[in-house]
Amino acid sequence: MPSTFVIQEILKIILWGTIVVLFISVNALFLVWMERKVSARIQLRRGPLHVGPHGLLQTIADAVKLISKELVFPKEVDKFGYWLAPVLVFAPILSAFLIMPLGKNWIIRDLNVGFLFVFSLTNISFIGIFIAGWSSNNKYALLGSMRAVAQNISYEIPLLLSTMGVVMAAGTLQTSGLVAAQKGSWFIMTQPLAFLIFLCASLAEANRAPFDIPEAESELVAGFHTEYSGMRFALFFLGEYTAIFVSSAISATLFLGGWRGPLLPGLAWFLIKVYALVFVIMWIRWTFPRLRSDQLMGFAWKILIPFAILNVFVTACMIQFQHFFK
Amino acid sequence: MPTLTEKNIKNWLLELIKPDEFNEKDPKASGVLFEAIVPQSKIREVAKGYLEQHYFLESLTAVDFAECLEIVYHFNQWGPAQRSCVKILVPKETNTAPSIASIYKSANWFEREVYDMFGAIFTDHPNLKRILLPESSDIFPLLKSFKGEPKGADVAQSLKLIQEDADGFTTQYKDTVILQDKKNSKDYYLNLGPQHPSTHGVLRVLLHLDGERVIDGQPIIGYSHRHHEKMMEIQNYVGCWPNMGRLDYVGAMSYNFGYAVLVEKAMGIQPPPRVEAIRVLTTELNRIASHLLWIGTFLLDLGAFTPFFYCFDDREKILDILEMATGERLTYDYFRFGGLDKDIPPEMVPAIKEFIPRFKARLRDYDALITKNIIFRKRTEGLGIISKESALAYGVTGPSLRASGVAFDLRRNEPYSIYPELDFNIPTRAEGDVFARYWIRTKEMEESLKIVSQIIDKIPAGEVTLGKLPKNVPKGEYYSAVEAARGSFGIYLVSDGSLNPYRIKLRTPSFSNLNAIGDMLPGCLVSDVVAVLGSIDIVLPEIDR
Repeated sequence: MPSTFVIQEILKIILWGTIVVLFISVNALFLVWMERKVSARIQLRRGPLHVGPHGLLQTIADAVKLISKELVFPKEVDKFGYWLAPVLVFAPILSAFLIMPLGKNWIIRDLNVGFLFVFSLTNISFIGIFIAGWSSNNKYALLGSMRAVAQNISYEIPLLLSTMGVVMAAGTLQTSGLVAAQKGSWFIMTQPLAFLIFLCASLAEANRAPFDIPEAESELVAGFHTEYSGMRFALFFLGEYTAIFVSSAISATLFLGGWRGPLLPGLAWFLIKVYALVFVIMWIRWTFPRLRSDQLMGFAWKILIPFAILNVFVTACMIQFQHFFK
Repeated sequence: MPTLTEKNIKNWLLELIKPDEFNEKDPKASGVLFEAIVPQSKIREVAKGYLEQHYFLESLTAVDFAECLEIVYHFNQWGPAQRSCVKILVPKETNTAPSIASIYKSANWFEREVYDMFGAIFTDHPNLKRILLPESSDIFPLLKSFKGEPKGADVAQSLKLIQEDADGFTTQYKDTVILQDKKNSKDYYLNLGPQHPSTHGVLRVLLHLDGERVIDGQPIIGYSHRHHEKMMEIQNYVGCWPNMGRLDYVGAMSYNFGYAVLVEKAMGIQPPPRVEAIRVLTTELNRIASHLLWIGTFLLDLGAFTPFFYCFDDREKILDILEMATGERLTYDYFRFGGLDKDIPPEMVPAIKEFIPRFKARLRDYDALITKNIIFRKRTEGLGIISKESALAYGVTGPSLRASGVAFDLRRNEPYSIYPELDFNIPTRAEGDVFARYWIRTKEMEESLKIVSQIIDKIPAGEVTLGKLPKNVPKGEYYSAVEAARGSFGIYLVSDGSLNPYRIKLRTPSFSNLNAIGDMLPGCLVSDVVAVLGSIDIVLPEIDR
């Protein structure tokens, strides 16, 4: 019966949607807490301590504060764009959870196009960032969004090129297939260069230090979200932390064998790998100064892209070579 | 380059002026070799001559006497102190003087300040506007005739003026090539500050931008002006001490030192050896603390958060140590004429001894974390170069000058206190870029630590005060300068023999150093602006006074 099918699908959407949103919120709260703790330990501090055990409830208190704030439209902003931008930044990132294999058969939709789908959708969030900067009617915000667009265009190329090697080696774009292909050895072993390029490019895509030039607070006050406050600001924040999680999850799936691992269940392994990568990203942020925008572009075009192309070339040769001798 | 000797300068000046307008001075007391009163018409010629001889304009100020306004120029050279004092007289009726801003770029701001405080009009000055007081004010507070209460600033009026100010900057550039091309609408103006994370206080930099590229930038100061000079005029000499801690709150000890040296020279007194040792000890510790704060905030400007906390951790230790002696953590008010406020407590010496090895290890950490970081090097090398010529024209001093390859440090060039007996180097670097300025400051911390370790075991015993001293300074004019953390801090004192200073001019180093930024900004990106601004190490309360 088609009607039962429709009802089933709707229920499925609601169920998965709720789970994903719930997970994202809790995850973002946890990541903010983790970032505070990691940065504190790196910086000879102790971080939040007083609200809840080890300050775990601190971020919840902060979230409640942000939610309870009045939603302000600053004077002379473009209201529609200003309203739309945070949603546009946050929503596309959710799409990544659709194809993420969290464990054996733990996948919402095992799409044929897999990662291509995620990369094409998450790019929409940069349009959101540009709208945010443009509609804010603030020069700092505009400068921040200008930088964001330039950065996105430059780093999208090495990001995709670096995954190309993995996809070629696995022979599929499907995420379950990619994990299955890493049964023997993880792709980080066979594609170390691709992993490094992917890590750099995904840091830039997530606007994380040392590539955080769109929101460089010492230069542009707060960059593209200078004029945002309350829950709208929280959406940008949520988007940023979810993007970190997603890019770590993609790297874990592509390069670290996804949910595969001995003894523990798949989900546990998956989360361990993701949070280990998140830790590395935080570690990098709290160690390095920020690049300048032109240096950032130079890094993408002069270093990452040539090496990514080299990686694709070498991988292709290896595959051809393999066939030749078999 | 051959520089004129003292005698040559003298002969050259004597050709220009009458012999009775030339007075030899005792440099030990007054800080200047001679004083010459030059006719107004010849001051530009004199200034040109000094620039040709590679003298820099150390200070330019005015003193209001009953019969006329005296404009006082102090020229000094990058070498053993050869300070000369040149004056012009401005009659009250005309109230105009020729500007030397086209000769010495540093005179631009100095002359604006004189206009601001005394109302003297400098003819041919490119931009004679108020600099420290708001443009809406109609007072000239340093004139002796100024008595009344200042009128409260009218907010609406001030806002209007701020707008006019911004418009004025736009119109100023209407004539230039950039805006003549009306189709080219890419360029715009951006106010960096007064509220901005990286201006280190309330500084406003009006940037003219093309995309992210800076066409021109102009610092606008005066937001934290408290008028220390006026305050000190209406206090007695002892009452001026707290002002010294509040000029540059990051390196306040050097400012204490400057005032102590000035008045002691003028009175002709010699502090006991214990006092001298403790003064140098605390000043050098404070210099380390100041440089640490700079490194932390500078790296923060570049987007690295972590060094900030390490620097503040070390600085905290120094503040703890200095707190033991002074009871204060920031705005020190510790020195007294011929002595100190109180002796150091016995627990301070072991605390310093514990600090020295700890800090040495930390310096290695900074080296590994910052100096060897490739992103840091790429961000700072070859950026914001101050050439020697530019440094001379702007009167740049301190680490910013030494990063341009000039070994000019008043602790060596115009020795005071026990510095001649101490073993330390003056680090210099030829590049003159942002990285060189960073490097100089890290090396200076090492040198200061060396001084501290030399003194710590050899603090002589004895009194820390000279007992009762006269309450006034003998009639005369005095100039004295010390090496503060940011450059040479000079005080020009005119005493009429009464209990209050007749006129005190505070020559603060960052005032001249910040002025030099106008030459460094064009061509930078916005990211570089904060790096360049951070690299010259400005403390706004010291600039605005």
